[in-house]
Amino acid sequence: MIQVPILLADSEPSFWLPAPVSNFAGPIDGDFYFVYWVSIFFLVLITLLLGIFMWKFRTPPGARAQSHKDHHIVLEVVWTGIPIILSAMMFWYGYRGYVDMTVPPNESISIVAEAQKWAWNFSYASNGASIPGMSDDFNVVRAQVRSGEITAEDAEAAEAKILEKAGLHVPMGVPIEVTVMAADVLHALFIPAFRVKKDCVPGRTGKLWFIANEPGTYDLYCAEYCGQGHSWMHSKVVVHETVEEYEKWLEVAGSYDETLPFDENGKIVWKRRGCISCHSIDGSKKVGPSWAGMFGSMRKFAATGTPGEAVADEAYIQESIRFPMKKIAEGYPPQMPVVKLTDKELLWVTEYIKSLSQNSGGTVSPRKEN
Amino acid sequence: MSQPDIDGRPDSDEVKTAAAATTVDESGPSYLTVTNTISSWVFTLDHKRIGLMYLIGVLFMFLLGGVFALLVRTELFSPLAMITPLFADTAEAQADLYNKWFTTHGAIMVFLVIIPGVPAALGNFILPLLLGAKDVAFPRLNLGSFYLWVIGAIFFVYVLFSGGIDTGWTFYTPYSAESGTAVIPALIGVFILGFSSIFTGLNFIVTIHKMRPKGMTWFKMPLFLWATYSTAVIQVLATPVLGITLLLLILERSLGIGIFDPRNGGDPVLFQHFFWFYSHPAVYIMIVPPMGVVSELIATHSHKRIFGYTYIAFSSVAIAIFSFLVWGHHMFTSGQSTTMSIIFSGITFSVGIPSAIKVFNWLATMYKGAIVLNTAMLYGISFIFLFTIGGLTGLFLGVLSIDAHLHDTYFVVAHFHYVMMGSGLVGFIGGLHHWWPKITGKMYDEFLGRIGCILVFIGFNLTFIPQFVMGSLGMPRRYYTYADKFEVYHQLSTVGAYVMAAGFFLTAYYLIQSLISGKKAPMNPWGGNSLEWHTPSPPPLENFHSVPDATDPYDYEGLEYDPATGNYATKRTG
Repeated sequence: MIQVPILLADSEPSFWLPAPVSNFAGPIDGDFYFVYWVSIFFLVLITLLLGIFMWKFRTPPGARAQSHKDHHIVLEVVWTGIPIILSAMMFWYGYRGYVDMTVPPNESISIVAEAQKWAWNFSYASNGASIPGMSDDFNVVRAQVRSGEITAEDAEAAEAKILEKAGLHVPMGVPIEVTVMAADVLHALFIPAFRVKKDCVPGRTGKLWFIANEPGTYDLYCAEYCGQGHSWMHSKVVVHETVEEYEKWLEVAGSYDETLPFDENGKIVWKRRGCISCHSIDGSKKVGPSWAGMFGSMRKFAATGTPGEAVADEAYIQESIRFPMKKIAEGYPPQMPVVKLTDKELLWVTEYIKSLSQNSGGTVSPRKEN
Repeated sequence: MSQPDIDGRPDSDEVKTAAAATTVDESGPSYLTVTNTISSWVFTLDHKRIGLMYLIGVLFMFLLGGVFALLVRTELFSPLAMITPLFADTAEAQADLYNKWFTTHGAIMVFLVIIPGVPAALGNFILPLLLGAKDVAFPRLNLGSFYLWVIGAIFFVYVLFSGGIDTGWTFYTPYSAESGTAVIPALIGVFILGFSSIFTGLNFIVTIHKMRPKGMTWFKMPLFLWATYSTAVIQVLATPVLGITLLLLILERSLGIGIFDPRNGGDPVLFQHFFWFYSHPAVYIMIVPPMGVVSELIATHSHKRIFGYTYIAFSSVAIAIFSFLVWGHHMFTSGQSTTMSIIFSGITFSVGIPSAIKVFNWLATMYKGAIVLNTAMLYGISFIFLFTIGGLTGLFLGVLSIDAHLHDTYFVVAHFHYVMMGSGLVGFIGGLHHWWPKITGKMYDEFLGRIGCILVFIGFNLTFIPQFVMGSLGMPRRYYTYADKFEVYHQLSTVGAYVMAAGFFLTAYYLIQSLISGKKAPMNPWGGNSLEWHTPSPPPLENFHSVPDATDPYDYEGLEYDPATGNYATKRTG
């Protein structure tokens, strides 16, 4: 198993901005500080004038103003003209930077980021590997650090362990083109350290690109409100020092270990492909029905899909994964996205669901839920 | 011209009007005391009573929206669950609850407080007085607007009791098309509130066109009227688009017609275009009227002619026009075409210019004035400072490249709170203090007033400055929990919210106290010269005892202060 480098970035975050570690960070930070210093200048100027006038011209009620001059054409021209010039410059800088951000170079590594409620999945064009964001695992680590169960160092190690098979991995110094998609509602891919953000719009594809210029691990967030799990929908970006290291990682992480039993691989599918965010395995109700005890039980369907009822057998489960809107389990919202599993993944996950019912002993009565 | 026919008007009116013009302290009944049956309030056509009822409603909704703000801030004090566990058991339910809180806070504050705040509540009261008119052009329509507002508010209260809504105040599709919460009642509520706003706008446009007194040409109007007029144009032209959009969303949810929901072939980004086509101009519905208030506050309390009248007036009109052409700057990362983003960014900067012009002219008005630092003026000065920050931070977001980083972070949250609350609401509260003696006939405690204003000012900055910092560091908005590194900023912000709340509760206390035991307000306590200061406080039912001629609203030389009564009386000549 290949180790994921957790390196401390050389670039340090400033008071206002995260560490600048992509090709866009420099220019955007430059634009930021240009607007910042212009703003500070005017804020100080206006505040000083306000303060001085307040103090110098304060009077008790009844006093008369020292002057009634009410217009001055030169002043008006000056304080209209200077803001016009400055805003034109700001517009120009922003325009230049933005156009650069919209046009990825031809020679880029292509990665597809798919967002769904509430998980990320990253597919790598070079070998078709599909790597999950593993938001839930990162949340567990976060919670453990907060409750004092593990130290910050342990947490780093735990995160590195998760990142062996999760997260958005890129090599340093090579243009990366990320195509963003959404399976259900709006999401947005946001990597503060790279200063990039793009909305993931269902039914459309979007693109962003960057060149990471420092190895390390960086935060990746969902920035567009998407409901219950919005604030849990985060993952990490890992920047590998060389393309070789990145490719080695991709080869290992992208494959399933086919020597494992079907249901064990199914459990990996459950985590990897985001089923975990809506389906529990302990019987608790999330957005979708729990998988515990589901197999072999009688399912009642809501009127929004095909009404009626059926036993949850292999055919039913595989149909529900391939065509989630066809039969909607009663009492649950019709919200499941189409997750395109490979044939093997589908088989494994079905076996896994089966295994979650067999533990309760023997054959399951079709009427169990009644 | 409309003559509202109101029951219970004293018959001796005509007799008194002749004498009234010369006596300062009019002893006739005010609009508050002229009748006091319930129906004389419920069915009143008097713009002052309608304005007062709006005011009470808006302030009550401000309290409600504020409670949700405090819930949100308290929850965010720590990344761990703080107070949601009091109401919900599982982590999932707690996150849902938080989402409902911030949605409710936003929707109430935008649709029920800030949009109607200055125009419908203060505007209704002051606008006809500034014009020397008896009422607005369509008093019955005015009462209708108020009841539409009430019905809209009832829908919102219904939403609260039927499980809340969790879509964010922006109702973005497709989430709003599938959310299991009470979206449709909330949409109907906003739809109805939209009509309330349209009717008020229509009423004001006609009133300003047709009911100006003799001698008041367009460029002799008080600037508050320019601001209200510009706003009214936006209300009438933009709000119908929101109404249609919300109707389409209701149809989408109930019938699945596939306009916005990609699963049915719709386009979620189309909803954003429709929504911001209204909601960006709506930002100016929220800020331009308070700008008008501040023009009056700064001039009156500096006792000096407003500087650059024409520039301020035209800047309001310019903002109203430009406001229709910048909606796309909410969508730079949405995947709209690059060309569109560039055009929208360019036009966005042109809105900044008229705003800058206003700020500099207000400053120049204060220069060499006779500034009385009372509560109303302190709110006016707070407005200038907070609006400057709100405006300048808008520049960051208008710059295309920087917006890619800052969009949907706390930087945006802080920016629009500086504009909508730090400017819009502070302007509203300032106007409330400025016209409180006129509305209620009572003076409030100036000492407590200043303390309250300072608390609000400090609390506000403490709440939102840390949000700028964590936003630019990468903290996304609408998060129930967050990474530990943002905790200290959230804690400062929450403490700031409590300080601000203390300021508002103090304000509520002394304003209520003034109703009970406040000194009687003189006709003209601040030395203003627009027409509302030329009639008793509170004004009689018909506003003026005799039809006044236009004054020069910014000529303060003809007023003499009388320390005994606290009144500025018109100097007698000859």
